[in-house]
Amino acid sequence: MVKIYVVDNGGQWTHREWRTLRDLDVETKIIPNTTPFDDIVKENVDGLILSGGAPRIGLKGNLGNCAEYLEKADFPILGICAGHQYMARFFGGEAEPSEIPEFGKIELILLKDNKFFAGVPKKSIVWESHNDEVSQVPDCFEILGESKNCKVQAMRHKNKPFFGLQFHPEVEHTEYGEQIFKNFVKICQE
Amino acid sequence: MFNAEKFIEKTVSQLQKEVKGKALIAFSGGVDSTVCTALVNKAIGDRLVAVHVDTGYMRKDESEDVKKLMKNLGLNFSFIDASKEYYSALKGVEDPEKKRKIIGEKFIRLFEKVAKDKKIEYLVQGTIAPDWIESGGELRDTIKSHHNVGGLPEDMELKLVEPLRDLYKDEVRKVARVLDLNVSERQPFPGPGLAIRVIGEATPEKTEIVREACNIVEREIELAVEKGLMEKPWQYFAVLIPIKTVGVHGDKRAYGYTIAVRAVQSIDAMTCTYSKIPHEVLDKISTRITNTMGSKINRIVYDITNKPPGTIEWE
Repeated sequence: MVKIYVVDNGGQWTHREWRTLRDLDVETKIIPNTTPFDDIVKENVDGLILSGGAPRIGLKGNLGNCAEYLEKADFPILGICAGHQYMARFFGGEAEPSEIPEFGKIELILLKDNKFFAGVPKKSIVWESHNDEVSQVPDCFEILGESKNCKVQAMRHKNKPFFGLQFHPEVEHTEYGEQIFKNFVKICQE
Repeated sequence: MFNAEKFIEKTVSQLQKEVKGKALIAFSGGVDSTVCTALVNKAIGDRLVAVHVDTGYMRKDESEDVKKLMKNLGLNFSFIDASKEYYSALKGVEDPEKKRKIIGEKFIRLFEKVAKDKKIEYLVQGTIAPDWIESGGELRDTIKSHHNVGGLPEDMELKLVEPLRDLYKDEVRKVARVLDLNVSERQPFPGPGLAIRVIGEATPEKTEIVREACNIVEREIELAVEKGLMEKPWQYFAVLIPIKTVGVHGDKRAYGYTIAVRAVQSIDAMTCTYSKIPHEVLDKISTRITNTMGSKINRIVYDITNKPPGTIEWE
């Protein structure tokens, strides 16, 4: 059984991420973002999800111990919303308040083929809830998807299995959310 | 995938270990508290007492129906009519968070009284995931204080038992179906009831208006669903907006409140889209409310907000 933990950064949908993984028969639990990296490694996880969090949490300072996870992990990590913004900042990019924040139903446009988005059409409906966004992608990342008002909806690390999503694949109303989770689970299994 | 049978088995055996003495269940008659009651009943039998409080903010005939349900389920139960107390506690209170907290605390105080009389130690609540998620705490922002979590007083003496904490509504419904409970498909209704469907101060007069309007919206939508005119919404109701606008009734000026029609599609309340109610159904709702409620209501609006950015209930 593949084991993926959800790091809680205080999001409204952290528990939904846990539920989506559990529904896919993944062994999962929610852990505080203050959990030391060594404790996570001891449990032999195959991947981590960095959840979203209350407004502005991805913008400044540290996000619990997320820096340590991003520095040391050799397993896949998926950052969602604030987790995604923090991932960009950690690798030398930037996150700033959105000129036009997005809430609810938005169209995602995929720009590049990647196994992370296998089975997801070029255009699909995703659900958003963000005041901030990635304004500058780190050099070691590439953009995989955008929306009309947000240039970095999806990104991936060029050499590591790290992915960032501004939208929320874990909620019911994101059309291909479950497919994206399945793809991430598969990446964690490899 | 969530397995209702396994969940029932595991939960009943945990409850048998956890609940040593007598327990009281806060019983609203909705899916969550009814499922919870059935589970605890399986675990501890007649050491369980169900308590239903008529807050005065229940829907039309609801508390009477709940009384029947408690009898049908063969429960030990207490029925408390606390409407007067609730109306007076909420007099002059406009802030939705204050309203929710007053209602939450009042529930507990009433339960504590029953518990003292009957020597009960445990309080069972049908709390589900969105209740504690949205109530916030530590890292998580408070979206709204659900009466059963954010509304709990700090000095509470009863020991809390919440077997459904990790479940969402669609999962609770699955459990309800396995347990063969006929409330399994009931639409959600919040604990604070109509008090949060009257924007601002929830006076008895305004509550009466929204109760009637809610009943009309529910009946008309259920009729439309029966006729195949629309998909059944996850939740559907009326909200009273305490803004008066001008109308004309029989060549005379009218000046009444506004009713918003709210209906949404969801599975777990964590996100929703507004329901696409056909115009002919909206038309019937509008005409029926304005024609039967005379001078009290003369304007109907249709809420077309998704969640996010909105929430399902307005307060």
